[in-house]
Amino acid sequence: MYQRLFAGFLLAVCAVLGWMAWGLEAPFSYEPVGPRAYPLLLLGLLAAGALVLVIKPALESGSNEEAPLSPVMVPKLLLCLALLLALAALFERLGFVLTSVAFAYGMSRLFGGRNLPSIAVALVLGLGLYFLFDRILDVPLPLGVLAALEN
Amino acid sequence: MDTLQYLGQGFGVALSPNNLITALAGTTIGTIVGLLPGLGPINGVALLIPVAFALGLPPDTALILLAAVYLGCEYGGRISSILLNIPGEASAVMTTLDGYPLARQGKAGIALSISAWSSFIGGFIATIGVVIFAPLLASWAVSFGPAEYFMLMIFAVVCLAGMAGDKPVKTGVAVLIGLLLSCVGIDANSGVYRFTFGALGLSDGIQFVVLVLGLFSISEILTLLERTEHGQTALKASGRMLFNVKEGASVFATNIRSGVMGFVFGILPGAGATLASAMSYMTEKRLAGKEGRFGNGDLRGLAAPETANSASACGSMVPMLTLGIPGSGTTAVMMGALTLYNITPGPLLFQNQPDLVWGLIASLFIANIILIVMNVPMIKIFTRILSVPNWTLVPAIAIITSIGVYAVHATTFDLFLMIGIGVFGYILRKLDFPLSGVLLGFILGGLMESNLRRALSISNGDLSVLWSSPISQALWALVVLIALLPFWRAWRAKRRAPALQPDV
Repeated sequence: MYQRLFAGFLLAVCAVLGWMAWGLEAPFSYEPVGPRAYPLLLLGLLAAGALVLVIKPALESGSNEEAPLSPVMVPKLLLCLALLLALAALFERLGFVLTSVAFAYGMSRLFGGRNLPSIAVALVLGLGLYFLFDRILDVPLPLGVLAALEN
Repeated sequence: MDTLQYLGQGFGVALSPNNLITALAGTTIGTIVGLLPGLGPINGVALLIPVAFALGLPPDTALILLAAVYLGCEYGGRISSILLNIPGEASAVMTTLDGYPLARQGKAGIALSISAWSSFIGGFIATIGVVIFAPLLASWAVSFGPAEYFMLMIFAVVCLAGMAGDKPVKTGVAVLIGLLLSCVGIDANSGVYRFTFGALGLSDGIQFVVLVLGLFSISEILTLLERTEHGQTALKASGRMLFNVKEGASVFATNIRSGVMGFVFGILPGAGATLASAMSYMTEKRLAGKEGRFGNGDLRGLAAPETANSASACGSMVPMLTLGIPGSGTTAVMMGALTLYNITPGPLLFQNQPDLVWGLIASLFIANIILIVMNVPMIKIFTRILSVPNWTLVPAIAIITSIGVYAVHATTFDLFLMIGIGVFGYILRKLDFPLSGVLLGFILGGLMESNLRRALSISNGDLSVLWSSPISQALWALVVLIALLPFWRAWRAKRRAPALQPDV
């Protein structure tokens, strides 16, 4: 069921991208193959593959019936995703240390850690990784609001 | 012998103090990454690329680091397979079949030491294979033109789909998705923006570190979330810690066979360690016949996949170094790292950068020795790492992944892109599409397009250039042969169906 849904989704994406790719024209060109042909070729093949999966998903042996997601998992997955998005959004604004401490606490709780150990892990990870990467390994990380504390 | 002289030169590079320390660090990191469920060689290697850059490592040292991590992962993956019954990485799946029963019989120490020994032999056989075959292949591949290259990449892609076994269409679709993703960004030949949707962050394409970490780390984190409920405790590695001569001798033939087999599978583009270990396990099981106790703790069933996966890890360096075509997902990532250094892997690498190539090959020998020395006495320390709970591990993986992605361009756009790719990868994974196909397609995509267009430019648009030379004709024949493989397999399965299903 989900297989077909996804294959149908792929078909739709192919159609949209194909329509977009059709408009790709080089203003001037010195070569016989422009920027359009290759993506269109790939999209054609992808659409063909997706079509096979829509029409005859049973053609593929192997585990077609994926174990369905238990309903308990859905909010957990969404929460995990929200945490990841928050990490990305606040990475520069709040700075690496604060964001990752908060994020690590959230993730740790989500994965079944108890409250106090989670706080400890979050603090160690946030500060430890900052010093490891920014100070020792020379990977610059944003300090964000904590930048004022420096110097 | 030129080869020996070059190899000596390579050892000169690999034995320099810096590179030796790098190999030591790489193998340690690799073993840990390999034994932790949720981290495999692909994310391990991808995470270290930004670090290698930030530290300003020269390309040969960086490559040695990545290769050491890769080999270390193949060693480390066995530990959690044997003690936890959870493969630390994909190619260690077969190791669980006989490794875990052995550990339950109280022979964990023997299982761990004999599998380390098997990994060593596998790596050793395959590295000798690299020394013999890589220069040959490189000197032959120098004559390849763009048309032959294009065909070679088609062959690699078809190999992946044809050899993947039970799901050729899904693998094909996954590869095509990867190829399409590589089209995103400015077209180098004409300057046209393709599929950027007006986003500035996409204008120079999707960074491959972003793609790799999204596909493999983020989707892995989401997968681990489902497994939080049933935690499992590791078995203690107790009893005799070292195998005896008799046990060693009983698996020696298996080691040799699986090592050669793993090397061959490693060379074939697309067919990586996972397939190699599965095939060698099946072969040994068939050879042992009725007397084997495969599945109940047969030492041969443990030795075969472990030998094969190390051998194929080394073997997959051959197509990467000589043809510029990755032999596995991890070498695809290593190739990406080389292109970041503005080094194009391919046959000319042997002429232009002998230090890099032979240093890498020599360091495979050295890493292998470090690993066996490290893995036998220090096994207790490594097994202790297994008791790190997920609620500590996962936040750490997630944050380190984000650092790795952020380090590439220092934009949060890449972080969002990574999460998007990760969710997509998670869906693909749930629906049983192989993610390594997407990765291989992505890495090959750019090269494939530019070679096709170059070939057609030379021929002024005449398509027959794609099948005019004997090399490309031979490649076409191979492509057709491998494309027919799934059909033949389906036909054979249908014929066998009335008979009893062979137990797997």
